[in-house]
Amino acid sequence: MHLPDGFLDGKTALLTSAASLAGVGMAVHRLKKTLPPRQTPMLGLSAAFIFAAQMVNFPVVAGTSGHLVGGVLAAVLLGPAAAVVVLACVLVVQCLMFNDGGLLALGANVFNMALVNGAAGYLLFMVLRRLVPLRGDRAVVFAAVMAAWAGTVAAAFACGVEMACSGTVAWGVAIPAMVNIHLLIGIGEGALTGLVVAAVLRSRRELVAAVRGGGEGQRRGLVRAGLPMAFGLALFGAPFACPWPDGLEAVARRLGFEHRALLPSFPSPLADYHLPWIGSVGLATATAGAVGTLTAFLGAWWLAARLVPPTAAGKDDAPAAP
Amino acid sequence: MLPPRHETAGGPARAFPSPGIKLAAVLVLVGFTALLPRQVNWCYLVPASLVLGAALWSRPSLRHLVGRLLAAEFFILGTGLLALFSPASRPLFLAVFLKSNLCAAAMALLTWTTPFHELLGVLRRLRLPGVMLSTLALMIRYLPLLAGEAHRMQRARASRTFRPRRRIVWASLAEIIGRLFLRSANRAERIYLAMCARGWR
Amino acid sequence: MTPAVEVRDLSYRYPRGRVALEGVGFSVARGESVALLGPNGAGKSTLLLHLNGLLPEHPPREPSIWIDGLPVAHGSLHQIRQKVGFLFQDPEDQLISATVFEDVAFGPSQLGVTGPALDALVTRSLAAVGLHGFASRESHHLSQGEKRRVCLAGVLACEPLVLVLDEPTSDLDPRGRRQLKALLRNLPVAKIIATHDLELALDLCSRVLVLDEGRLVAEGPAVSVLSDETLMLAHGLEKPHSLFHRHPHGPVDGPA
Repeated sequence: MHLPDGFLDGKTALLTSAASLAGVGMAVHRLKKTLPPRQTPMLGLSAAFIFAAQMVNFPVVAGTSGHLVGGVLAAVLLGPAAAVVVLACVLVVQCLMFNDGGLLALGANVFNMALVNGAAGYLLFMVLRRLVPLRGDRAVVFAAVMAAWAGTVAAAFACGVEMACSGTVAWGVAIPAMVNIHLLIGIGEGALTGLVVAAVLRSRRELVAAVRGGGEGQRRGLVRAGLPMAFGLALFGAPFACPWPDGLEAVARRLGFEHRALLPSFPSPLADYHLPWIGSVGLATATAGAVGTLTAFLGAWWLAARLVPPTAAGKDDAPAAP
Repeated sequence: MLPPRHETAGGPARAFPSPGIKLAAVLVLVGFTALLPRQVNWCYLVPASLVLGAALWSRPSLRHLVGRLLAAEFFILGTGLLALFSPASRPLFLAVFLKSNLCAAAMALLTWTTPFHELLGVLRRLRLPGVMLSTLALMIRYLPLLAGEAHRMQRARASRTFRPRRRIVWASLAEIIGRLFLRSANRAERIYLAMCARGWR
Repeated sequence: MTPAVEVRDLSYRYPRGRVALEGVGFSVARGESVALLGPNGAGKSTLLLHLNGLLPEHPPREPSIWIDGLPVAHGSLHQIRQKVGFLFQDPEDQLISATVFEDVAFGPSQLGVTGPALDALVTRSLAAVGLHGFASRESHHLSQGEKRRVCLAGVLACEPLVLVLDEPTSDLDPRGRRQLKALLRNLPVAKIIATHDLELALDLCSRVLVLDEGRLVAEGPAVSVLSDETLMLAHGLEKPHSLFHRHPHGPVDGPA
């Protein structure tokens, strides 16, 4: 999902860069106030960890594989401010050291992956965790899975919007293309996020920021960080009038994320999820979205139930952590 | 995966100009290229010749240049193909294709001539927040180590995986990632102690 | 003469209550080399971490450790850490900068050394450990032995009074081990070396301390203590092979 240069026009690049600067700036400010010095090396190591985790490719559909973004994973484990800083640093290194993502597009990539996927995904995590009728760690795992899935889709959506706003790709093509494939890839991200969070909760619970409490201040900070994000999203979403072309058959999209594989991917033929009798891409996207949401919901529930034993499920944190 | 060994890489461009100037030059070049009009015309020759000149000056290995361009191609071609579905498609696709590749080539040359820790020095002079600087510095120091640990864990797991069913693959991936996080946390603790022992405040 | 290190009645409990050290007391004279031996879990690393104030997490009311006469207490920690150079077991934890130069300069730059003086200091320190011209090398490209020597250079650059080494020869190949031994032998500073490498202890140290289950169970000249096979075996150690052919009170070619 790392946008290269040449896909965004001036105004889009400028707007997303401004939003990113604001968002990351706020996260840095928050960390300066709340991060104990003891945790400073952890930020660096976590950045290396997220980078390494992003290199894992997991099989999606025959041939294609997807990559973790890790925004929600980072936010659940480290807290949202740290996650934003960590992800921004990862993207900087990926751009300037590995040429993954363009230089001018860095602002947009940080916006999509650190702010939309990470911070907004975490907001969703907090909401879901409160709403879901599960308790304790099960709620955490469930919320992590769904938020990671939704966050991936949201980041892809933002990416599509940016490309369409720049006039590079038509609205009716960019959005469905990015969103559809990430509805599927997002399931991988959700599953991996849930599995990893559950594993860490089991072994060293104190490492998971989301269950450490800290409540009110964190929520305020998050709301403030959400503002530039919401602004950016609204600005892009507003002119969204989407004349989806009729009669576009399902196009086998190979957006090909398979590069720099750290681990070999085991080929796994998954049944094609696209319903063949639906002609209009718009309807297809909506249907895929609905099916995806339901699948993600059920999958998240199942994972949470399987990964967290009943004893830990009952364990609620002392102050009702948001 | 690892960046080129910069002891020998970079040609004359390795030493001159300074990393700050190289970064600024690439930024200007990329900005100029990205903002070129959507129709390929003679303007495109400007960045093209600049990139060519830079390539001659920095003498990248073919493997590095081609490798980086190919990696970028996946997204460029894949998404660029989507550009074909809009009106006035073909010239737009060509423009996007050329722009992206020129920018990618410029960035590849930057990476070839300037190891990241030099760029980090530039970022430090630009007054990037301290917390980001320390995160970046520690990240590039420990990334190869973590990648190595992940690789060793995966290799150990593979030697005991006799039937690579999907569920096992996923469980192994998640386990490895989880353990990588735990090891990172442990190491971060030890690093903190080592930093304190050397007078860090 | 004030001893370089003095420890009196040091006790420590882990956060979960288990006793880690109990009533440990010893001293190390300036320039002396002492080995700290003991089975795994004896508390060697814990003891060493006390010497530069990394433990306990909350400073004690009564100091139990004095470095060059200065008590290890909350207000003196930064001076203590300059006097006590600590070489950690895993060089990966200590070598935190991307390049060798930056890492060796890390300590001195905190102490206010800058510019050409810093460059000269780094060059000198690297030369002292046999790594001429390594200043521009990148950390992760070094061999294990080279990493360890860079860490040593970084510690020596702060000109400590005491060098504390935690398992310095673990994971070194025989050549790396010989190089490190030669390096350490030529260093005039006081040394406390926690090690499983009994031959190293015999070669480099005049005195040994044996720690078991948090208590100091033996202390004395290296050859005598290490020759006491019963004592060695009783505390998870053994008599070094080279002593099987040596009379404990006979002429020895050994430590300085």
